Amino acid sequence: MALTLSERAANHVSGFLARRGKGLGVRLGVKTSGCSGMAYKLEFVDQESPDDLVFESFGVKIYTDAKSLPYLDGTELDYSKEGLNEGFKFNNPNVKNECGCGESFGV
Amino acid sequence: MALLQISEPGMSAAPHQHRLAVGIDLGTTNSLVATVRSGSAVCLPDQHGRTLLPSVVHYSTARVVVGHEAQAKQNQDPANTVVSVKRFMGRGLADVADAATPYRFVDEPGMLKLVTAGGVKSPVQVSADILRALKARAEESLGGELAGAVITVPAYFDDAQRQATKDAAQLAGLNVLRLLNEPTAAAIAYGLDNAAEGTYVIYDLGGGTFDVSILELTRGVFEVRATSGDSQLGGDDFDHRVYCWLLEQAGLSQLNEHDVRLLLTRAREAKEALTEHDLTRITAKLSNEVVIDLELSSATFQAITAHLVQKTINPVRRALRDARLTVADIKGVVLVGGATRMPHVHRAVGELFGQPPLTNLDPDKVVALGAAMQADVLAGNKGDDDWLLLDVIPLSLGLETMGGLVEKIIPRNSTIPTARAQDFTTFKDGQTALAVHVLQGERELVTDCRSLARFELRGIPPMVAGAARIRVSFQVDADGLLSVSAREQSTGIAASIAVKPSYGLGDDEIARMLQDSLRHAGDDMEARKLAEARVEAEALIDASQAALASDGDLLDAAERGAIDDQIERLLAAMAGHDADVLRELTEALNHATQEFAARRMDRAVKRGLAGQKIEEL
Amino acid sequence: MSFDFSRSHFDLFAQPELFQIDRAALDARYRELQAQYHPDRYASAADIEKRLALQIATRINEAYQTLKSPLARGRYLLQLSGVETQEETNTAMPMDFLMGQMEWREAIAEAKASQNVEALERLNVELRGETDALEAELGALLDRAQYEDAAIAVRKLRFMEKLDAEIGNAIEAALF
Repeated sequence: MALTLSERAANHVSGFLARRGKGLGVRLGVKTSGCSGMAYKLEFVDQESPDDLVFESFGVKIYTDAKSLPYLDGTELDYSKEGLNEGFKFNNPNVKNECGCGESFGV
Repeated sequence: MALLQISEPGMSAAPHQHRLAVGIDLGTTNSLVATVRSGSAVCLPDQHGRTLLPSVVHYSTARVVVGHEAQAKQNQDPANTVVSVKRFMGRGLADVADAATPYRFVDEPGMLKLVTAGGVKSPVQVSADILRALKARAEESLGGELAGAVITVPAYFDDAQRQATKDAAQLAGLNVLRLLNEPTAAAIAYGLDNAAEGTYVIYDLGGGTFDVSILELTRGVFEVRATSGDSQLGGDDFDHRVYCWLLEQAGLSQLNEHDVRLLLTRAREAKEALTEHDLTRITAKLSNEVVIDLELSSATFQAITAHLVQKTINPVRRALRDARLTVADIKGVVLVGGATRMPHVHRAVGELFGQPPLTNLDPDKVVALGAAMQADVLAGNKGDDDWLLLDVIPLSLGLETMGGLVEKIIPRNSTIPTARAQDFTTFKDGQTALAVHVLQGERELVTDCRSLARFELRGIPPMVAGAARIRVSFQVDADGLLSVSAREQSTGIAASIAVKPSYGLGDDEIARMLQDSLRHAGDDMEARKLAEARVEAEALIDASQAALASDGDLLDAAERGAIDDQIERLLAAMAGHDADVLRELTEALNHATQEFAARRMDRAVKRGLAGQKIEEL
Repeated sequence: MSFDFSRSHFDLFAQPELFQIDRAALDARYRELQAQYHPDRYASAADIEKRLALQIATRINEAYQTLKSPLARGRYLLQLSGVETQEETNTAMPMDFLMGQMEWREAIAEAKASQNVEALERLNVELRGETDALEAELGALLDRAQYEDAAIAVRKLRFMEKLDAEIGNAIEAALF
């Protein structure tokens, strides 16, 4: 089981961490949000918590928690540009359906 | 597929609830919009990669064009191409009478208007057109509707100019989180980037305005000690000096509006060229076929504009005096605004402070970046790691007293928000009304200050002279905007009034203008809103039913009934046409299934999923 | 958000009700209070909360300005003790003080007429010295609860404040 970053995503995360001036890595997670299912969490990590699971891609640490992992296992976080918009994208093999915008999903 | 940004720890937003916030630098020459993405402030570019949007609007009978495209029309259609509109904000015709402009003005109470092919436009409407373009760019770049914006204003803007700016933002459909002083915005960007501590001067010479602010930076607090400036002095004036020099050298007078615009453009280009070179050539062919071909040296340019540079020094001295500081107390001087690129401006500031100014930030972008950082804080995206801004009002506020004199009620450089009350009395027996005239400025005579509002307090109970006690209260909010109220105290019979801006753009008028501009777009928007709400509702119903089918055993009969009931109600609403009802019921179903979703998640985890895919269970 | 508007400025800033003030503690408490109540903290809140934050932050600024300035602080202490300073109504001042005031005005008028900024700056420094001495006197009187005399000192300081503003205006007029 693993979480990974694409090389492009890893470069962006390192860049953001450097400009922010602090942070250990990036946290991927899910939280429940009613019945359209789960929502992704994407946050900077300043402090590791005891039950964190840690992965690494291209030198960037990826943190998650045991509750989230089953829903994210195999996920690759990518970075992409669509027109003027740009940002991170979860490529999650566990997802069966997602809302139109991809911010929440069901499994 | 939504594109996500990295949030601060614990600050992830719920889906569709990102608090998208931007900072907007609404400049005289150029405007920018910036945001904080994954913790970093960035200026948002257009589809050609350009971050600067020229603050130029072209009006024709058919359409409104903003930015580069409008700028391209400047020379061929100067009268309908509005540039530097910021100089007209909150200003009357008398204020701009001596400016060389190709426009036809109409004088209106408080604020002038411009006659264009697209109709008569107030500076507020022109600014709103610029803001609308920036808003559209931001929403496209961030993939959603903006929750709010911080709009920057020159620190030395008076109440009328601030109010006009806020009105323009509201007219453009922006939720104004705060009006932020430009030098303060620059200080945030500079201070946070450099972990600066100590007393700093921000010297901000923009296209049309000059500000100087002195700030004390201590851990997480940006405290403005004093501010000063000149809201009618900027890079434009340097262009204008070169323009006058051209006329003089070429022996020209009485140019048509086309030639005025052409020569002003050439003057600006010459000024910019002299930033890098010692000599530049100015050539132009006027409409009467006369060709101008002149050389302008950097020495001549500096000589003909020396008095403009000098004009910036006095406000700096005044700010130092007000802050009770000397140049020796200043740790660093940050240059902001495109006009600070001129070498002699740079040199003059360096000489005054006895140290080379700091220029390690792009002077064009630093204000927008600071505004974006503040917008991120105000929208609530920052968590505990934020900072505190303590700003001041730039100009004293007062009331007219006997003999045309002004009595100051709130002195300049008071930290905002602030309030002050002053008691007045009647001077005639049986007097039932009292005129109140609110002014802003430093001079003693009413005629030398800016009139902000006049109102009459009526309904004072008749009493002997001097018996009535009328308390006039001034409140300046965190945007630096004033409201005044008055009430008669002694009898308990209160008459009070809130002051509206004196240029006559009250809330009603803004609401009407908003409705007008929305009317055309209104029908489309309704339809889109309904379609989106239906898609969302349908997705949620499907997901809920699937979850009930697989894990329905997690619910008791009552819980199950409640969810089924919500689904029924949502299904019923889908037959209707009310997007708001649909959204409400979707939200209600989401809420009703929250506990169920949590139980499903727990079950999944309990099943000991280690190493297994959910589908494999 | 809760805030007790009936608290005295001293109470709000956790300072004893005395003329002597711990300036560093005052500044620190000011930042702490504004960090909690400043309208920027409620920029995305409901209108009612925004209004309340505006009022609270306004009060905090007022209290800070009052406690920071020796004259305002002295006046406020007298007010808390129920003594009116009568600055607008009572203009009967000791003769020697009034003579001193006339000398000040003449010196300022002279320097102003000749646009002598240096002379004005010198007067400013001198005035500061006299004001400091008066402020110390005010403090001592308040400590000894000699409120009537303290009220006279407040009225004197009010004159000094006006002189200070006059010098400031004269310097501005000469410079700009």
